[in-house]
Amino acid sequence: MINTETALKEAMTGIEGALGAALVDYSSGMALGTLGGNKELDLSVAAAGNTDVVRAKVRTMEMLGLKDEIEDILITLGGQYHLIRLLKSRNNSGLFLYLALDKDRANLAMARHQLKRIEAELDV
Amino acid sequence: MTPVADTSELPSRTSMLRRLAEERAGGVLERSTGLLYLVDGRVVHAESEAATALGQLVVGSGRLAKADWDEALERCGGDSRRAADHLVKDGQLADGALELCRLTALFDAAYFALAPGGGAARFRHGVTSEGGLGLSVPADRVLAEVSRRRALLHSLWPGPSMDHHPVVRGRPRPDRPPSVRLRELLDLADGERTPADLARALGRPAFHVLLEVRRLAVAGLVEPPRPPARRPTAPTRTGRSPAARSRAPDGFAAPDIALLQRVRDGLEACL
Repeated sequence: MINTETALKEAMTGIEGALGAALVDYSSGMALGTLGGNKELDLSVAAAGNTDVVRAKVRTMEMLGLKDEIEDILITLGGQYHLIRLLKSRNNSGLFLYLALDKDRANLAMARHQLKRIEAELDV
Repeated sequence: MTPVADTSELPSRTSMLRRLAEERAGGVLERSTGLLYLVDGRVVHAESEAATALGQLVVGSGRLAKADWDEALERCGGDSRRAADHLVKDGQLADGALELCRLTALFDAAYFALAPGGGAARFRHGVTSEGGLGLSVPADRVLAEVSRRRALLHSLWPGPSMDHHPVVRGRPRPDRPPSVRLRELLDLADGERTPADLARALGRPAFHVLLEVRRLAVAGLVEPPRPPARRPTAPTRTGRSPAARSRAPDGFAAPDIALLQRVRDGLEACL
């Protein structure tokens, strides 16, 4: 198992085009760790705001009666991808990884794959 | 119910912690609601009786069996942080898992330690917390997170009226099933447990449960706090209209929660 800092470092250095990464507790919207980000991308604000996205999706799934789990959520902007990956193992329930990517530099399929790997390592 | 969160005490606590951080002070900030330990002006540990303890968070997150935690705690003479370190050394608990639990416990306790109404703060220089120092967080970040949490609670349901009373379940709403996390909380709400009791039983941070209880109250799944008992009205010979008689002394009738919920549902359906 790797710790928060290592997980975020791996996300930032190992994923092409990464602009910022955060590990977020979605009950409270608190970022347990952040790395990267800049004046245009305040990761603490992004963490709290995207908590609402995750909560809304979880609730919608329950209202629809879908007995499935959210693996990840992709938000596509003009110049960026925002990728949310829920840590859904027994031990990490209630957390998500948040990754902002530069759309021109990122390979979306690779980014999703790498984020999945980091999630597995963050788990016990 | 006060319409605005009580922030009157905040400046003094905030400025005290900020000043200590600037001075790179080491010691303990004491209030009746909890303690904050500082090293070099950074927060290294927080304690509050209202918050969920580290061990309960570790067990509640499913990372360790309760028996294993209890055994480790006994071996370390009741020192939870030393017990956690031993568990990591023995390979029973992952380093990263403990880091997350410690961070969660620190912010949970800091929220209550810095809460309004906790009385005056005093700082004792040179006092260190027992056990190993697992992490340290800049004081600014702790203050920002505490005020964000306070605003978040306030935005859901103003006033702390629900925070310390037993949680009473409301009428079930088959059309609005609560999420799994909320259902676990509702299942334990027996009308006697307070949010803090529920947090301990579930092994979740106490702040999260305060938040979820308010969310459940908004959804009508938890009974909203009862308004303070009204004085029995005098025999009605005053000639006032029935409408006027049904009003409380402050001139406002108690809200009909069920009606308000129906109105809200109707409005949401129109969106």
